[in-house]
Amino acid sequence: MDALVGQFFSTLQARTPQGLRSPVDGVLRVDLYTGEHTDHWVVTLRSGRPVAAPGYAEADTVWRSDAELFERLVTGESQPVAALLRNDATLSGDVELFLAFRRFFPPSPRARDPRTVGAVEPETPA
Amino acid sequence: MKELISILDGNTFVVSDRRGDIEPSLDYPTGLFSFDTRFLSTWVLTLDGERLNALSVDEETSYETTYFLVPGVPSHYVDANLSVLRYRAINGSFEETLTVLNHTTSAVDLTLRIEVGSDFADLFEIKNAQRKPGGATARVAGDELLLSYRRERFHREVRVTSSAPGEVDEQGMTFHIRVEQHGEWRMRLLAQALIIGADGRDFREALPIGLDRDVEQIRAERTSFVASVPRLICDYAPLAAAYHTGVRDLGALRYQSITFGKQLIAAGLPWFMTLFGRDSIITGLQALPFLPRLLPPTIAVLAGMQGSRLDDFRDEEPGKILHELRYGELAGFEEQPHSPYYGSADSTPLFVILLDEYERWTGDQDLVRRLEPEVRAALDWIDTYGNSRGTGYLYYQTRNPRTGLPNQCWKDSPDAICYRDGRLPGFPRATCELQGYAYDAKIRAARLARDVWHDHAYAGRLEREAADLKQRFNRDFWVTDGGYYALALDADGNQVDALASNMGHLLWSGIVDVDRARSVTDHLLGPDMFTGWGVRTLAAGQARYNPLGYHVGTVWPFDNSIIAWGLWRYGMREEAGRVCAGILEAARHFQGRLPEAFAGYQRGLTNYPVQYPTACSPQAWSAGTPLLLLRVMLGLQPHDDHLVIDPDIPPGSVVSRSSTSPAGGAPSTRWDAAGRTDGTGTSGRCRQPAALARTFRAPSVAFPVRPWPDGDAHSCGRRRSSSARSRLRKNAPSAPASVPNTATEYAASTSSRTCAKVSVTRSGSPVMVVKAASCSARGRLR
Repeated sequence: MDALVGQFFSTLQARTPQGLRSPVDGVLRVDLYTGEHTDHWVVTLRSGRPVAAPGYAEADTVWRSDAELFERLVTGESQPVAALLRNDATLSGDVELFLAFRRFFPPSPRARDPRTVGAVEPETPA
Repeated sequence: MKELISILDGNTFVVSDRRGDIEPSLDYPTGLFSFDTRFLSTWVLTLDGERLNALSVDEETSYETTYFLVPGVPSHYVDANLSVLRYRAINGSFEETLTVLNHTTSAVDLTLRIEVGSDFADLFEIKNAQRKPGGATARVAGDELLLSYRRERFHREVRVTSSAPGEVDEQGMTFHIRVEQHGEWRMRLLAQALIIGADGRDFREALPIGLDRDVEQIRAERTSFVASVPRLICDYAPLAAAYHTGVRDLGALRYQSITFGKQLIAAGLPWFMTLFGRDSIITGLQALPFLPRLLPPTIAVLAGMQGSRLDDFRDEEPGKILHELRYGELAGFEEQPHSPYYGSADSTPLFVILLDEYERWTGDQDLVRRLEPEVRAALDWIDTYGNSRGTGYLYYQTRNPRTGLPNQCWKDSPDAICYRDGRLPGFPRATCELQGYAYDAKIRAARLARDVWHDHAYAGRLEREAADLKQRFNRDFWVTDGGYYALALDADGNQVDALASNMGHLLWSGIVDVDRARSVTDHLLGPDMFTGWGVRTLAAGQARYNPLGYHVGTVWPFDNSIIAWGLWRYGMREEAGRVCAGILEAARHFQGRLPEAFAGYQRGLTNYPVQYPTACSPQAWSAGTPLLLLRVMLGLQPHDDHLVIDPDIPPGSVVSRSSTSPAGGAPSTRWDAAGRTDGTGTSGRCRQPAALARTFRAPSVAFPVRPWPDGDAHSCGRRRSSSARSRLRKNAPSAPASVPNTATEYAASTSSRTCAKVSVTRSGSPVMVVKAASCSARGRLR
């Protein structure tokens, strides 16, 4: 399961959504715990371009959650703001930086493009 | 319905009965709320086991209230021996000071009790009358009563303490007190609403936002907020009251966003005390000339939360601007999609429109530069995901049939979008105002692209697309046999042909062909739509019309402010004035506080506007309405570095007076047309607010040609020939002989049927003086 998270961080650059590259600067640390063990990742954003590496560093923003939740984020199964609201994750520091980072998470796996959704017929009056 | 009293500070609010008591309610949000959670659902005061009765309630300010109470039912023959003052305030938490007064000549011993309870309901549980499975627990910890609720890691707590010693149990606190003859006894209760995060601390401690503010801080902050807004002095009492109340309510509805630590505007009490894309943008547009500093935080948060991925549950798509953000349990556990929810098709083009309007008023090009990627993504969304039928129109259809919104336009109730004969169309739907907003967004973004991003090719493309959209729109939406625009197109591109107020928004957007503006205006001001107070959401004569129908017959003040703005844009000043006057006359009946909506009965039928039963109040875009109406009547328009003032005040609504000096008697500074002062002030520059300061910083008030001579608003800012622009600039500083030499006289002489004088003065804070004056002279500068 570490593989998914590792793959996410190593492909951040390529994941930058087209047209959504906000010129944000800062350092984000992601703390992922599994039981007593915690892994750290550091993402440095320069004009919105990300560089990620495992390791610990002082950061402008810190995300902390269990590794399993983060895995569901990197597969699009879960969504970070809802996780924060139910306190499955905590965020400290500069929130704007995290909102820029949030854009690297992939779409929900079952999501449809609105252009592919069929029309719904009007309800016939009773 | 029992009369309820509300106090609020940001998104923390208390709704109680007239005694100040809170009793559990399953379907109406009574209680103490913060961040979409009810922290107190029971808060009942008794004296010797008896409930108290209200003599009066002081509602002077919105964040504090005093209830004057007596035991028993007071009558003419039996004087009350005791009275209780119940003072409460919202300051992030909730505090209440109880004062018991003994009016007799002997001491009394009393038992005072406060019942305390919480169901920790999510606001949506109340809205949908659901109950949560888990329960709250109560615990006595020394002098404290701790009520808490947990669901997995989700943890809310309310901590109740008192300043006097009492007996604490799990249902409340009891105090045995003695009050001496003609004496008083006083105690303070405090209920702290806590959102517990990591390590058992309130999550706000880890973020750059404050937890609590004391009442003095709130008072000082509110006072300085109101003082920073231009003070309006005018003869016309309904406008003066509505403006003042609107400004005050906008101040009260600001809240500290937990995501940004910035002040945003909540949409409305009690259901909408949170961030809405559409509401915050419309409110921002209304308030912009007067309160520009409200805007940057709102714009930044909407941009920061812009959609980035496909997500059916949230109706999210890349580039889309959010609809609604909630903080409660149901959003966290994904039982409701508001984390945030993206189900609105208008917030994205409106976001672009707002940013352009903001730049026009403030000249803040830095923000426009910084948000270039977000604006481009928003425009891309309009052409891709928004254009879901591939027909070049903005359509909406939720991909979340369970908890998503079927109607993703401002008229979001289920029956709002209908055919003339009452049938409801299928999905997707393309309502007309969405196309107008998309048109305006492209026109405005083209200006930003050209002037700020220096991308002329992009600007040209946007303008071509907008021109094409306008042409197609006027072909496909025009109901030929009715002489109006269809409310919407259905999935097959057929007209959803109801006659509705959405047309007024089309005028505002500029998508209406000039030769059709008269016909649209005649419908809006005709007997089927205009009640005398305002324009109905749906015209009488349409099958679903109902004067009490939420979006099918009621009058919405905010809707009318946009309609008035649209009428102004097409030069229909007399009609715009009638709408302004009607809404302001209605405001008079609501003590200056315009509700969300009122009934669509004809004015002659009731002589007063009938309140819509469950209307929210205060509501941000209703509070912003008087500000926009004032802008429309004064004809305020930023033009390069100038402020165009071209007033047209509706006759009959403004009472003529001779006095022209601002109230208060303080020395004032009046700007003349060349930006000079009349010598009573020390500076020709207005310090606050930024918008007015900027417009007067320039050496002159611009001398306008009548706005939009060709019916197209953007001709003024952009398409007017460069020679016309330079003429404006050239003439402005030199104040040619034909130009009156004060702003006041200028206004009076350039207006048509106008009876208004405008001057901007300063006596500590900026003052706008709107005075009635008889003016037979009618001057057009050119």
